[in-house]
Amino acid sequence: MTVPGLSVRDVTVRFAGLTALDGVSFAVAPGTVHALIGPNGAGKSTCFNVLSGLARPAAGTVRLGDTELTRLAPHRIAALGVARTFQNIVTTAGTVADNLMLGRHLHSRAGFTASALRLPWAVREQREHLARAREIAELTGLGPHFDSPVELLSYGDRKRVELARALCLEPRVLLLDEPVAGMNAAERARTAEVIARVRAELELSVLLVEHDMGLVMRLADEVTVLDFGRRIAHGTPDEVRRDPEVLRAYLGTPREGAA
Amino acid sequence: MSDRRPRTPVRTLLIALVLCVPPFYLDAFWLRVGLFSVAAAIGAVGLSLLSGTAGQLSLGHAFFLAVGAYGYTWLAGEPGPGLPTAVAAVLAVLLAGAAGGLFSPVAGRVRGIYLGVATLALVFLGHHVLLTADSVTGGFNGRSVPPLRLGGFGFTAGEPELTVLGVPFGAEERLWYLALALLGLTWFTARGLLRSRPGRALAALRDSETAAAVLGVDVARHRAAAFVVSSMYAGTAGVLLALAFRRIVPDYFSLALSVDYLAMIVLGGLGSVAGATAGAVFVTALPLLLSRYADQLPLVAAPGTADGAVGPTEAARFLYGAAVVVVLLHAPDGLHGLTRRLRDRFRAARRSGPGSGPHARPSAPPIAPVRPEEHTP
Repeated sequence: MTVPGLSVRDVTVRFAGLTALDGVSFAVAPGTVHALIGPNGAGKSTCFNVLSGLARPAAGTVRLGDTELTRLAPHRIAALGVARTFQNIVTTAGTVADNLMLGRHLHSRAGFTASALRLPWAVREQREHLARAREIAELTGLGPHFDSPVELLSYGDRKRVELARALCLEPRVLLLDEPVAGMNAAERARTAEVIARVRAELELSVLLVEHDMGLVMRLADEVTVLDFGRRIAHGTPDEVRRDPEVLRAYLGTPREGAA
Repeated sequence: MSDRRPRTPVRTLLIALVLCVPPFYLDAFWLRVGLFSVAAAIGAVGLSLLSGTAGQLSLGHAFFLAVGAYGYTWLAGEPGPGLPTAVAAVLAVLLAGAAGGLFSPVAGRVRGIYLGVATLALVFLGHHVLLTADSVTGGFNGRSVPPLRLGGFGFTAGEPELTVLGVPFGAEERLWYLALALLGLTWFTARGLLRSRPGRALAALRDSETAAAVLGVDVARHRAAAFVVSSMYAGTAGVLLALAFRRIVPDYFSLALSVDYLAMIVLGGLGSVAGATAGAVFVTALPLLLSRYADQLPLVAAPGTADGAVGPTEAARFLYGAAVVVVLLHAPDGLHGLTRRLRDRFRAARRSGPGSGPHARPSAPPIAPVRPEEHTP
């Protein structure tokens, strides 16, 4: 399976007079980690919503390989191999296993009739997918919690449940919205390690929104910087770090006559 | 989980055996209470799947019960096509499912309280049709229900004459076993659904539609399917009710019936098959028992007396109304959650050993989260 590139071209999103994204373009090269950074309100999450089909852009296109995504429903985009996590944890009730099995939804076929009658092939299918979900739980460090209810897990573990659930889709493009926000240093290091490992082992492209610059600089191959819905910089982590526009957006302009 | 697995079939078999005994010891009244309770349980499991698991409020359950009950009566009876009764029963269930399917363009788009209001319209519409379509429904006076026949065996007294272990098997005794079989089928299918792919997708819809959609769940399709499946359970319950009543009238299938079903699933615990069954037995059996023992109970008047006292039906409504309030305040996960917590506490006490006793550990079982998005009445 080849990993297609994701290209965003001139995407504009308006919410009743507010322009959340203004002609933003960038491309995620196959198999790379691309970071999307910017101050709060820069339009990063809106951009994710466009990519996963939750928001419709007023103009512009999003292409995965040759497929146009902007007119597709979210579940169709997911079926093309685009998985995402949310900035605020969105898990469903039940155990870690239940959540990960939901991530296997697209890869399994058992419908209402087969499941209600517990047809042998449906039972077998469920068992196979449970085994794969357990593998992914081990990969993301959730192995010991596999049968625990999600609401009893720590914040960091619940964020990892979201990551593992997205991985259960066997995505070709993984969208991570602040995967380490609110985590302590040890949890951050562990999640960063998981992201680096899945990228290497599962051959996927990652688009990452993150405020933790250490993590961005370490993981990202390319960085796009947004501010007030516009792209203000683009390049390798080192280039972006020295860009005067970026420094201004993050630190502000020194006031005249400030002591 | 895994350590309980091997014992489950044994336990199921034992429960099934115990449930087969009552016709030999109980009279027709108790069997009728059982029949109505089982029918309600089947319907309640269907509603629990829709409102508890998929999070869609439905006030239209009475309508789908009516489709099942009248569908069977018309298909098997005269006037009507007069089909073999077994075929009519299956078709009536499918008809209820089809009615749910016809409603799915609405059910797939509207959610929460708005869906509740939309389904409310179904009840009024259904009631009106039942009263006016005389040739099919028999109008205000209803229709008598043709008894079910399977091969040469009729679910009514004397077709053929049957005496088992000295107990003559009349309609109630025979229907009891039919009801048990249907309840078993309901439990098997509903639990199968809940524990596999479609059940997880429905629960995801309830907890977060956005998350479900980005994980590849077709939201509109699953909402519609939940409605169809729930209607089919309601249809099955309707057929069984019709057989137990022997005569069906439009006034039974009113809004109050829909509300009764909501009370059942709230009492039992939303989204749980066992809970829905327990809630159904409570809500169904209570008014029947109060009527039976009205003369021995304080504050409850015998049925038919009109001296301002509280009748048994009203008394039952008060009681389970109070029960709903108590459950919502103190055990939002219903009887099912309550028993699970008691069981966990019991296990924890046993595990902590004889030396420490149950008071040694702080008795703080995980409090079930109250899900804000659930629409409980």
